[in-house]
Amino acid sequence: MMHGSISNRIRTLRFMNGEMSQAELGQRIGLTRQTIAAIEAGKYSPSLEAAFRIAQVFNVPLGEVFQWHAEATPPKVS
Amino acid sequence: MSYREKIAWLSLIAMAVAYGPYFVLVARGPSPWEPWPHLHPLGLFALVSIVRMLILGAGYLYLRLGSPREERPPLDERDRAIEQRSISAAYYVLIAGMILVGCVMPFSSTGWTIVNAAIFWIVAAEVVHYSVVVASYRLQASS
Repeated sequence: MMHGSISNRIRTLRFMNGEMSQAELGQRIGLTRQTIAAIEAGKYSPSLEAAFRIAQVFNVPLGEVFQWHAEATPPKVS
Repeated sequence: MSYREKIAWLSLIAMAVAYGPYFVLVARGPSPWEPWPHLHPLGLFALVSIVRMLILGAGYLYLRLGSPREERPPLDERDRAIEQRSISAAYYVLIAGMILVGCVMPFSSTGWTIVNAAIFWIVAAEVVHYSVVVASYRLQASS
Protein backbone atom coordinates (compact mmCIF):
# COMPACT_ATOMS: atom_id res chain seq x y z
CA MET A 1 0.00 0.00 0.00
CA MET A 2 1.19 3.52 -0.77
CA HIS A 3 1.80 5.66 2.27
CA GLY A 4 1.58 9.41 2.40
CA SER A 5 -0.02 12.41 3.98
CA ILE A 6 -2.58 15.02 3.00
CA SER A 7 -2.00 18.73 3.41
CA ASN A 8 -4.32 21.59 2.58
CA ARG A 9 -4.31 25.29 1.80
CA ILE A 10 -7.63 26.17 3.38
CA ARG A 11 -6.12 28.79 5.70
CA THR A 12 -4.44 30.54 2.76
CA LEU A 13 -7.56 30.32 0.61
CA ARG A 14 -9.68 31.76 3.43
CA PHE A 15 -7.23 34.64 3.71
CA MET A 16 -7.34 35.23 -0.04
CA ASN A 17 -11.14 35.30 0.08
CA GLY A 18 -11.53 38.29 2.34
CA GLU A 19 -10.35 36.54 5.51
CA MET A 20 -13.38 34.28 5.45
CA SER A 21 -13.98 32.84 8.91
CA GLN A 22 -14.01 29.12 9.66
CA ALA A 23 -17.60 29.49 10.82
CA GLU A 24 -18.64 31.10 7.52
CA LEU A 25 -16.90 28.44 5.44
CA GLY A 26 -18.49 25.75 7.57
CA GLN A 27 -21.92 27.31 7.22
CA ARG A 28 -21.59 27.43 3.43
CA ILE A 29 -20.77 23.73 3.10
CA GLY A 30 -22.79 22.31 6.01
CA LEU A 31 -19.95 21.61 8.46
CA THR A 32 -19.31 22.97 11.93
CA ARG A 33 -16.56 25.49 12.72
CA GLN A 34 -14.80 22.81 14.77
CA THR A 35 -14.76 20.44 11.78
CA ILE A 36 -13.27 23.13 9.54
CA ALA A 37 -10.62 23.77 12.22
CA ALA A 38 -9.85 20.04 12.41
CA ILE A 39 -9.58 19.79 8.58
CA GLU A 40 -7.29 22.84 8.45
CA ALA A 41 -5.06 21.36 11.13
CA GLY A 42 -4.87 18.06 9.24
CA LYS A 43 -6.54 16.20 12.09
CA TYR A 44 -9.60 15.17 10.14
CA SER A 45 -9.86 14.12 6.49
CA PRO A 46 -13.17 15.28 5.02
CA SER A 47 -15.36 13.21 2.75
CA LEU A 48 -14.79 13.60 -0.97
CA GLU A 49 -18.07 15.50 -1.24
CA ALA A 50 -17.07 17.96 1.50
CA ALA A 51 -13.67 18.41 -0.16
CA PHE A 52 -15.34 19.28 -3.49
CA ARG A 53 -17.67 21.70 -1.72
CA ILE A 54 -14.73 23.48 -0.10
CA ALA A 55 -13.04 23.80 -3.50
CA GLN A 56 -16.28 25.12 -4.99
CA VAL A 57 -16.60 27.81 -2.31
CA PHE A 58 -13.11 29.08 -3.20
CA ASN A 59 -13.76 28.51 -6.92
CA VAL A 60 -10.56 26.51 -7.40
CA PRO A 61 -9.84 22.90 -8.47
CA LEU A 62 -9.72 20.28 -5.71
CA GLY A 63 -5.96 19.88 -6.16
CA GLU A 64 -5.41 23.48 -5.13
CA VAL A 65 -7.10 22.87 -1.81
CA PHE A 66 -5.78 19.42 -0.91
CA GLN A 67 -2.42 17.93 -1.79
CA TRP A 68 -1.24 14.34 -1.45
CA HIS A 69 2.40 13.82 -0.48
CA ALA A 70 3.45 10.25 -1.21
CA GLU A 71 6.19 8.74 0.94
CA ALA A 72 9.01 6.97 -0.78
CA THR A 73 8.55 3.23 -0.37
CA PRO A 74 11.54 0.85 -0.44
CA PRO A 75 11.62 -1.41 -3.51
CA LYS A 76 10.30 -4.95 -3.04
CA VAL A 77 12.91 -7.66 -2.62
CA SER A 78 11.96 -10.82 -4.48
CA MET B 1 -14.86 22.60 23.67
CA SER B 2 -17.77 21.81 21.35
CA TYR B 3 -21.32 21.38 22.57
CA ARG B 4 -21.28 17.67 21.71
CA GLU B 5 -18.09 17.09 23.65
CA LYS B 6 -19.66 18.80 26.66
CA ILE B 7 -22.69 16.49 26.35
CA ALA B 8 -20.38 13.46 26.24
CA TRP B 9 -18.55 14.67 29.37
CA LEU B 10 -21.89 15.22 31.10
CA SER B 11 -22.99 11.67 30.24
CA LEU B 12 -19.70 10.26 31.58
CA ILE B 13 -20.00 12.23 34.83
CA ALA B 14 -23.63 11.15 35.28
CA MET B 15 -22.57 7.51 34.77
CA ALA B 16 -19.74 7.78 37.28
CA VAL B 17 -21.79 9.57 39.94
CA ALA B 18 -24.81 7.29 39.63
CA TYR B 19 -23.39 3.85 38.90
CA GLY B 20 -20.09 4.12 40.80
CA PRO B 21 -21.74 4.04 44.26
CA TYR B 22 -24.33 1.53 42.98
CA PHE B 23 -21.73 -1.08 42.10
CA VAL B 24 -19.83 -0.44 45.35
CA LEU B 25 -23.03 -1.10 47.35
CA VAL B 26 -23.92 -4.14 45.23
CA ALA B 27 -20.43 -5.60 45.68
CA ARG B 28 -20.82 -5.49 49.46
CA GLY B 29 -23.02 -8.56 49.37
CA PRO B 30 -26.60 -9.80 49.69
CA SER B 31 -29.53 -7.66 50.74
CA PRO B 32 -30.00 -7.19 54.49
CA TRP B 33 -33.77 -6.85 53.95
CA GLU B 34 -34.60 -10.51 54.28
CA PRO B 35 -38.43 -10.35 54.17
CA TRP B 36 -38.32 -8.70 50.73
CA PRO B 37 -34.99 -9.70 49.19
CA HIS B 38 -35.80 -8.08 45.83
CA LEU B 39 -36.90 -4.75 47.25
CA HIS B 40 -33.43 -3.55 48.22
CA PRO B 41 -31.70 -4.03 44.83
CA LEU B 42 -34.78 -2.82 42.95
CA GLY B 43 -35.07 0.28 45.12
CA LEU B 44 -31.36 0.94 44.80
CA PHE B 45 -31.49 0.64 41.02
CA ALA B 46 -34.54 2.93 40.85
CA LEU B 47 -32.73 5.51 43.00
CA VAL B 48 -29.62 5.34 40.84
CA SER B 49 -31.68 5.76 37.67
CA ILE B 50 -33.44 8.80 39.12
CA VAL B 51 -30.12 10.34 40.21
CA ARG B 52 -28.68 9.81 36.71
CA MET B 53 -31.74 11.36 35.06
CA LEU B 54 -31.60 14.35 37.41
CA ILE B 55 -27.91 14.95 36.68
CA LEU B 56 -28.50 14.62 32.93
CA GLY B 57 -31.59 16.85 33.03
CA ALA B 58 -29.88 19.58 35.04
CA GLY B 59 -26.75 19.30 32.90
CA TYR B 60 -28.62 19.51 29.60
CA LEU B 61 -30.55 22.52 30.84
CA TYR B 62 -27.37 24.26 32.02
CA LEU B 63 -25.51 23.56 28.76
CA ARG B 64 -28.47 24.57 26.61
CA LEU B 65 -28.99 27.84 28.43
CA GLY B 66 -25.25 28.54 28.39
CA SER B 67 -24.79 27.85 24.67
CA PRO B 68 -26.35 30.09 22.03
CA ARG B 69 -28.12 28.37 19.13
CA GLU B 70 -25.16 28.84 16.77
CA GLU B 71 -22.97 26.83 19.16
CA ARG B 72 -25.40 23.90 18.86
CA PRO B 73 -25.30 23.13 15.13
CA PRO B 74 -26.82 19.94 13.69
CA LEU B 75 -24.57 16.87 13.37
CA ASP B 76 -22.08 17.07 10.52
CA GLU B 77 -20.02 14.30 8.89
CA ARG B 78 -17.24 14.43 11.51
CA ASP B 79 -19.77 14.17 14.37
CA ARG B 80 -21.38 11.20 12.64
CA ALA B 81 -17.99 9.53 12.06
CA ILE B 82 -17.11 9.97 15.75
CA GLU B 83 -20.51 8.60 16.77
CA GLN B 84 -20.07 5.58 14.50
CA ARG B 85 -16.57 4.86 15.85
CA SER B 86 -17.70 5.15 19.47
CA ILE B 87 -20.73 2.91 18.94
CA SER B 88 -18.54 0.27 17.24
CA ALA B 89 -16.14 0.25 20.20
CA ALA B 90 -19.02 0.05 22.69
CA TYR B 91 -20.63 -2.78 20.73
CA TYR B 92 -17.61 -5.06 21.25
CA VAL B 93 -17.66 -4.39 25.00
CA LEU B 94 -21.40 -5.03 25.16
CA ILE B 95 -21.29 -8.25 23.12
CA ALA B 96 -18.38 -9.61 25.21
CA GLY B 97 -20.26 -8.76 28.40
CA MET B 98 -23.50 -10.30 27.19
CA ILE B 99 -21.75 -13.54 26.18
CA LEU B 100 -20.27 -13.69 29.67
CA VAL B 101 -23.57 -12.89 31.38
CA GLY B 102 -25.79 -15.03 29.19
CA CYS B 103 -23.62 -18.02 28.38
CA VAL B 104 -21.10 -18.36 31.22
CA MET B 105 -22.60 -16.90 34.40
CA PRO B 106 -25.77 -19.06 34.49
CA PHE B 107 -23.53 -22.06 35.27
CA SER B 108 -22.05 -20.42 38.36
CA SER B 109 -24.37 -17.60 39.53
CA THR B 110 -28.04 -16.84 39.97
CA GLY B 111 -30.56 -14.02 40.44
CA TRP B 112 -29.32 -10.52 41.17
CA THR B 113 -25.69 -11.42 40.56
CA ILE B 114 -26.52 -12.05 36.91
CA VAL B 115 -28.78 -8.99 36.72
CA ASN B 116 -26.09 -6.73 38.18
CA ALA B 117 -23.45 -8.22 35.91
CA ALA B 118 -25.68 -7.40 32.92
CA ILE B 119 -26.15 -3.83 34.21
CA PHE B 120 -22.39 -3.57 34.72
CA TRP B 121 -21.62 -4.52 31.12
CA ILE B 122 -24.26 -2.16 29.76
CA VAL B 123 -22.76 0.67 31.83
CA ALA B 124 -19.25 -0.35 30.75
CA ALA B 125 -20.33 -0.21 27.08
CA GLU B 126 -21.84 3.24 27.61
CA VAL B 127 -18.66 4.44 29.35
CA VAL B 128 -16.59 3.20 26.40
CA HIS B 129 -19.02 4.91 24.00
CA TYR B 130 -18.75 8.33 25.66
CA SER B 131 -15.02 7.94 26.36
CA VAL B 132 -14.32 7.36 22.66
CA VAL B 133 -16.47 10.40 21.80
CA VAL B 134 -14.54 12.59 24.26
CA ALA B 135 -11.15 11.23 23.16
CA SER B 136 -12.00 11.72 19.46
CA TYR B 137 -13.07 15.34 19.96
CA ARG B 138 -9.97 16.00 22.12
CA LEU B 139 -7.60 14.47 19.55
CA GLN B 140 -9.14 16.43 16.69
CA ALA B 141 -9.46 19.70 18.60
CA SER B 142 -7.16 22.41 17.35
CA SER B 143 -8.70 25.63 18.62
